[in-house]
Amino acid sequence: MAEFIRFDRISKFYGPLCVVENLDLGIDKGEFVSLLGPSGSGKTTLLMMLAGFEQPTSGNILLDGTAINAVPTHKRDMGVVFQSYALFPHMSVGDNIAFPLQMRGIGKAEIGERVKRALDMVQMSALVDRRPSQLSGGQQQRVALARALVFEPRVVLMDEPLGALDKQLREQMQLDIRDLHRRLGLTIVFVTHDQSEALTMSDRVAVFNKGKIEQIGTPRQVYDEPATRFVAEFIGETNLVEGVVEAVQGQEATVRLPSGAQIVSAVSGTVASGQPVFLSIRPERVDLSETRGEARNVLETEVTDSVYQGDHLRVQLQNATHPLIAKLGRRSREFPPGTKVFAAFSAGDCRVIAP
Amino acid sequence: MPMKIAKATFATLTILFLVAPLIAILPLAFTSSVILTYPIPSWSLRWFEELFFADAWRRAIVNSLIIGTGTTLLATVLGTAASLGLRNRLIFFRGTIRTLFLLPMVVPAVVLGVGMQVLLAGFGLTNSYLGVIIAHTVVAVPFVIVSVTGALAGIDERVELAAQSLGAAPITVFRRVTLPLAMPGVLSGAVLAFATSLDEVVLTLFVAGPNQRTLARQMFSSIRENISPAIAAAAFLFIAATIAIGLVVVLSRSMLAKRR
Amino acid sequence: MSATSSRTGRSLLLLAPLLLFLVGFFVWPLFSMMSQAVSDPAVLKLLPRSAEVLTGWDRKSPPSMAMQAAMMEDLKAVDDDQALGDMVRRLNSARSGFRTLMGKTTSALADTANPPADLISIDKRWEKPEFWLAIADALSPYTDRNLLAAVDLGRNAAGAIEHLPPDQSVNRVILVRTFWIAALVTFFCAAIGFPYAIIAASLDGWKRDLMLAAVLLPLWTSLLVRTAAWFILLQEKGLINDLLLTLGIVNSPLALIFNRTGVIIAMTHVLLPFMVLPIYSVLITIPKNLMPAAASLGAPPLRAFVRVLLPLSLRGVASGGLLVFISAIGYYITPALIGGPGDQMISSIIAFYATGSANWGMAGALGMVLLVATLLLYSVYARLSSEEPGRR
Repeated sequence: MAEFIRFDRISKFYGPLCVVENLDLGIDKGEFVSLLGPSGSGKTTLLMMLAGFEQPTSGNILLDGTAINAVPTHKRDMGVVFQSYALFPHMSVGDNIAFPLQMRGIGKAEIGERVKRALDMVQMSALVDRRPSQLSGGQQQRVALARALVFEPRVVLMDEPLGALDKQLREQMQLDIRDLHRRLGLTIVFVTHDQSEALTMSDRVAVFNKGKIEQIGTPRQVYDEPATRFVAEFIGETNLVEGVVEAVQGQEATVRLPSGAQIVSAVSGTVASGQPVFLSIRPERVDLSETRGEARNVLETEVTDSVYQGDHLRVQLQNATHPLIAKLGRRSREFPPGTKVFAAFSAGDCRVIAP
Repeated sequence: MPMKIAKATFATLTILFLVAPLIAILPLAFTSSVILTYPIPSWSLRWFEELFFADAWRRAIVNSLIIGTGTTLLATVLGTAASLGLRNRLIFFRGTIRTLFLLPMVVPAVVLGVGMQVLLAGFGLTNSYLGVIIAHTVVAVPFVIVSVTGALAGIDERVELAAQSLGAAPITVFRRVTLPLAMPGVLSGAVLAFATSLDEVVLTLFVAGPNQRTLARQMFSSIRENISPAIAAAAFLFIAATIAIGLVVVLSRSMLAKRR
Repeated sequence: MSATSSRTGRSLLLLAPLLLFLVGFFVWPLFSMMSQAVSDPAVLKLLPRSAEVLTGWDRKSPPSMAMQAAMMEDLKAVDDDQALGDMVRRLNSARSGFRTLMGKTTSALADTANPPADLISIDKRWEKPEFWLAIADALSPYTDRNLLAAVDLGRNAAGAIEHLPPDQSVNRVILVRTFWIAALVTFFCAAIGFPYAIIAASLDGWKRDLMLAAVLLPLWTSLLVRTAAWFILLQEKGLINDLLLTLGIVNSPLALIFNRTGVIIAMTHVLLPFMVLPIYSVLITIPKNLMPAAASLGAPPLRAFVRVLLPLSLRGVASGGLLVFISAIGYYITPALIGGPGDQMISSIIAFYATGSANWGMAGALGMVLLVATLLLYSVYARLSSEEPGRR
């Protein structure tokens, strides 16, 4: 696949404040890339620069090999979906969707045809004459989506488009958008601070922190192989345990914990023996039992609390030097507080992260 | 319970104090007598006839319409343009400029009148329609500014960004999105500008000549010199117009609210 | 970057017309009014040669021949009787006697058949340095005379500032009266408006709408109409006196118009909305459950009011009070129509000086006093309302 969008050493300053710092990012044609990060991490600013609402302080944005820094927004041919929907309050649903087609000087008959098709696509045909204020949040979002897609833009940009919807509707829309992406072969850049949304929808996720990309990869990569402590903590829940590298063997390393226990773990990046590191252990990868089993890594712990959470049991453990959290499936047996248990996990279920 | 009665009594009395004077003079517009007192001997429209056919009153009404229209046009155009300019947060001294725009509302009319007379005399604009329109525009513009900046502040900037991203050039964004959304504010600003001009007396006293005597000016001197029920008839027209204007403003506000 | 700067350029282009308009027709008039207050060209305009010679004078010794010659030439060159009158009036106000002296001098100078040798031969008074001193002091194009007179001060012969004699001290009385009437009106507006706003904010539905409409209707009604209404109601045979007589509360009609009572009633009515609305807008932002919360914590209603509602609403009362006071000190129409001669406020006096006696200097000076007072109070008001929580 050819690289379609390229951010080339982009920086953005607001006065002395640096929002995006020397950032490089390439996006392929037809790809769905999420920009994920906490608020203020620069992800929305990057999207705004791509849309042309903001100008980078330095660096180039290329679209299909051509720099577009000097191209004004209205000539960039990008469909933008906003969190607040940004529908024209003085126009009907139909007029909202017809707007980009009118701007392109398309004939009346064709506009009618394409508006109808776009409305069908988002299942809103019945409400063509309504005003935006007469629609629910979810309906407004569908109209905004139809409006951003109807003129077949080269790229679709979405700025937290589902942030204002309730959970159920949000999950439905996530699937709908993913479906549209596949069906129409759209190139989508999607900004969100919701990690599960990013994991659900994207081909690749770029994790943002303080104006930089901490890691970019498939959902599986960023979840299972976090490259940095920030990524490990921001995506999903994890146990972070300090330790020192004893030895490195290929893709695995032996880490000694303060308690003296030795853990064999997969490695992200490069570490050297003697280096202080973090171990990231996902709670759902931890097994508990009262007998020391066959697993490679075993920690002796005591149960301090056990909370029933419907789909899983959340067990708080205390080792000699650090706490640990385990999430157990419903089939697992329960351990009352005070029980001495062995926490076991394989080398592939934890990750060494250089601090 | 006694507290409740006290509250209700107080509220009723105050409402009476506020509204009763306006209502009490309405019937006097229809008196057949030449004096402005109750009881009214019999009903008649003679004072409305006086208002519309007596030379002084008729000319005053015509002058008020001419000057009011001129003021409305000038104040609305200047005020709307300036409100649009004020939206840009990058403008230096934005707050100071805004304060300057609102200040004519605060400066005592007599002070402004003295200065205005000196200045307009220098330009040879005293005793001219243009002079009066200029003076009225100065005091009407703040109302347009308040009204239009209010409407503009209510526009979600992302709606305009969305229009741009959908392919609309800046001028098209303004024509198709910004202006229609600000229109209720512009209209109510225009209405307020007209009402301000209609009611303006003090500046008119200073800058207008006998040929630009407005309705308000005519009412002022007739209260002073020879009060007649024509005043009540004029007041009746004013109050009726106020209620009409009030309805227009309320309707346009609710139109604005409905769009949110 | 170029997009930003072109946007800024466009904004400036939109701002420019109104900015220029207001600088030309709002700021400039105010400045020219103020410059009227301090400018004093009446003497300098007619005596340019004397002005030159007088700069070399030591202000003590008797007039030199050069001074007299310059003065005679200046006076001969005068061909504008009105300007001459202005100058004589100005000089006479600084030192009495100039009227006769100048009259005598100009007619002597006009006698071409028998030209006088010097001024002293026309009138012995020209020998005295005091008269020359008065001329020398009046030659400056600027003066603080009007500004001082606006607060009943003046300069004595030695140039020190002192109080004007009581028969000329009218302005301070009027200033005090203006502020007193404004304070009374503010007080009555607060006394009526504060409880009214509290009641309105505590209600909902049509009752609240009615109470607000009762405030808005007069606010939107022409000021002149409201004043006219009070004029009609307050007359000796007006509705209020009729009502009082019919009800037997009074035996003879009360004097309600052309006096202080009428002015206060009418101005309170006119300005009440400016008190009610700011207080109301503050009150509706106060969560309704605060008073029940205070009660649940053991505060009796009055204490709950004093400790909770009052401090929270004080900002509204302060802005409303300032708004009413600012408007009241500049009022013209209502005192002019409803008040008697003893109720005229500073605006009326300014209007009198400007249109009645064409004394632009005094009109400007008093205008400046009123303008400065208004702007000072307004800056307090602006600060107060910009500190509102949730607003920047």
